[in-house]
Amino acid sequence: MRNAAAARTGARVAPLFGLPAAGVVALLLYLPFLWTTYVSFTEYDGLASPVWNGLTNYKAMFSDPDLIGSLVNTLLWVAGMITLPVVLGLLVAVLTYGHKWGTWLRLPFLLPYAISGVAVGVIWGFVLQPDGALGQALGFFGLPGEHTGWLQSGPGNTLMMIVATTWQAAGVNALLFVVGLQSIPTEPLEAARLDGAEGFSLFRHHLWPQLRAITTVVIGLSLVGSLKTFDVVWVMTQGGPGTSSETLALSMYKETFVLNDYGQGAAIALFLSLVTFAASILYLRYQLGDAREQG
Amino acid sequence: MQRKTNRKALTALVMAGALALSACGGGGGTAGPAKGEDKPVDSLKFYNDKGGWKDAFTQVGAASKKDVGVGMEPVGYSDSNTYTAFIRSSFRTKEKADLFTWHTGKELQDLVDQKLVAETTDQWTKAIADGNIPEQLKQYFTFDGKQYCVPLNAGYWVMYYNKAVFKKAGITETPKNWAELTQVADKVKAAGVKPFYQTNILFSFVWFETLLAGKDPDLYDALAAGKAKYTDPGVVEVMNEWKKMIDAGYFSDPGAKTEPQAQLKNGDVAMINFGTWFSGNLNTLKMKAGTDYDFFVIPNVNPALPKTSMIFETGPVCSAAASDHASTVKKWTDWWLTPQAQTAWANSRGDLSFNPKAEVKDPALSKLNKDVGGDGYRLINRWFEATPVPVANKALEVFGAFVTKPGDPMPGLQKIQAEADAYWAKQK
Repeated sequence: MRNAAAARTGARVAPLFGLPAAGVVALLLYLPFLWTTYVSFTEYDGLASPVWNGLTNYKAMFSDPDLIGSLVNTLLWVAGMITLPVVLGLLVAVLTYGHKWGTWLRLPFLLPYAISGVAVGVIWGFVLQPDGALGQALGFFGLPGEHTGWLQSGPGNTLMMIVATTWQAAGVNALLFVVGLQSIPTEPLEAARLDGAEGFSLFRHHLWPQLRAITTVVIGLSLVGSLKTFDVVWVMTQGGPGTSSETLALSMYKETFVLNDYGQGAAIALFLSLVTFAASILYLRYQLGDAREQG
Repeated sequence: MQRKTNRKALTALVMAGALALSACGGGGGTAGPAKGEDKPVDSLKFYNDKGGWKDAFTQVGAASKKDVGVGMEPVGYSDSNTYTAFIRSSFRTKEKADLFTWHTGKELQDLVDQKLVAETTDQWTKAIADGNIPEQLKQYFTFDGKQYCVPLNAGYWVMYYNKAVFKKAGITETPKNWAELTQVADKVKAAGVKPFYQTNILFSFVWFETLLAGKDPDLYDALAAGKAKYTDPGVVEVMNEWKKMIDAGYFSDPGAKTEPQAQLKNGDVAMINFGTWFSGNLNTLKMKAGTDYDFFVIPNVNPALPKTSMIFETGPVCSAAASDHASTVKKWTDWWLTPQAQTAWANSRGDLSFNPKAEVKDPALSKLNKDVGGDGYRLINRWFEATPVPVANKALEVFGAFVTKPGDPMPGLQKIQAEADAYWAKQK
């Protein structure tokens, strides 16, 4: 009886112990978010007090050709990152899974993931200089393009940076797909093999449908990651030449910390957050909805 | 029983909360000085965006400790944007910077307008009377007739060159006019070296600045003041001149990641136009002034101009208006303006000083300092400080794209002018 009463009391008091953690989250996450939302409706240079200017920053965002260019580049990143590293990761996983040397074969793809985005930018920056490693290699093999300025005009520079990021991201996608493959029960696969399924047919009809859940995760992560693209671009081109390779995250940084237009930067930040949030929700609902229908 | 348990839990929570708050509060329970109350200290923190100059600052800090008993401890940032954001946001906190580097022009005006930096009119009056600061510097630190901050440095923009490359190209004399400079560039090019350094980031403005100041300094000043347009024929002509030089193969790869001082040292480029602070950068690479490198005054593009246009830059050392250590800051900045401090400072980096009485060891820099004070030169404020921030930023984007892929300059110039129109409209 006493134990039951104590348990009831404990259950009632327990949420109170979550308050400090909730307080910290509110302080570090929700308050800055609310402040950013407020600043996005103001003209604010970081020194004087913010002055309310309504939707001016949002109107500027959708009428400034440079910011529209940033939006287009961001969409290119999304398209690139939910295809290239995902497809490459899947290929690596499927072709090496079950292979005697599978772990070792995956290793070269996985290693770049240990490198930071900034380091990837530095390395590829050297590779893609007009007389960099890629140019020299092309020259050595007598191929055209030896003196191409890979990073010197859009949208080519964005595409080359997507390739650089693919080099890094494909490995971890492969790892996730391998985990997915490992979770597939072996009996149905053996049965399928006995029925004569092999190669692409085995993949298409038996493996791929069962990788659905992990594919959702991989694409979801790539989607969110690509919307926030910053580090590689900052290191490799700083968004240039001009604004040709700027992404929304970079524009946000430039407006805020280079131009001291904190209001405009906050508007981009809020827009980017909402797009990322909405894309994640829509994608997951679509995927989970499909899964439920199939279930 | 239940109530007792509740009370215990609540007491525990209140205690945890109190502990957390005391941990955040700092201060250790002793009452701090009231806001703005003066509190002398032995050493000042000197925030700056010149992380690479740390050794020189540390040497100066040791010298000030020895001379006036106040040390200086540099806190260097390497990224200028991060630094600017840090300083700006620090004004909204209790921890205001006692000493910090800044920029002249609009950036300084922003701080002055908000009454965030300490006034230094008395220090300026005395320093000019004592001959420790040239009068002509005053204008860059004056707002509404009052002075703010003191100079950190002063530099002139000259053409640095690699002596070995010049020797290899058979060049024995430095050029005295623009035609000779072109001939030198041709000789260097024939020797298989890129004549001039160029970049498509931050310093992409340098050649625009050099060509415009050397061709039409009045237009340069008018442009900076918003009284001329980037689309004016004179500016377009300069851009076309620049394009001609790029097309002639005079410039290094603007996207190269190698630092300019390394490019000059390696002999990848023969010449680089930079401020005299570049001597310090070259010295840190163990290049020897007068032996490995030297510099010459960049001749005017237009030989008919009565004076040689000399790009000039100066940066301030400021203090927050509400500094708790105002008397120590004044003691230190008073010392900073003296010839002995400036001699220590200039020679710690192998650079110039704003104080004409400083004994600069590098003979070429010393001579330049004296020459420029004469009648033959027209000082031109560096474009980066002379141009309002939003206009400068747009222009840097345009110049960066232009040097990478030179073409018709007009669309780019129109973009800059649109930004300039928006900026100047807000100022009226």
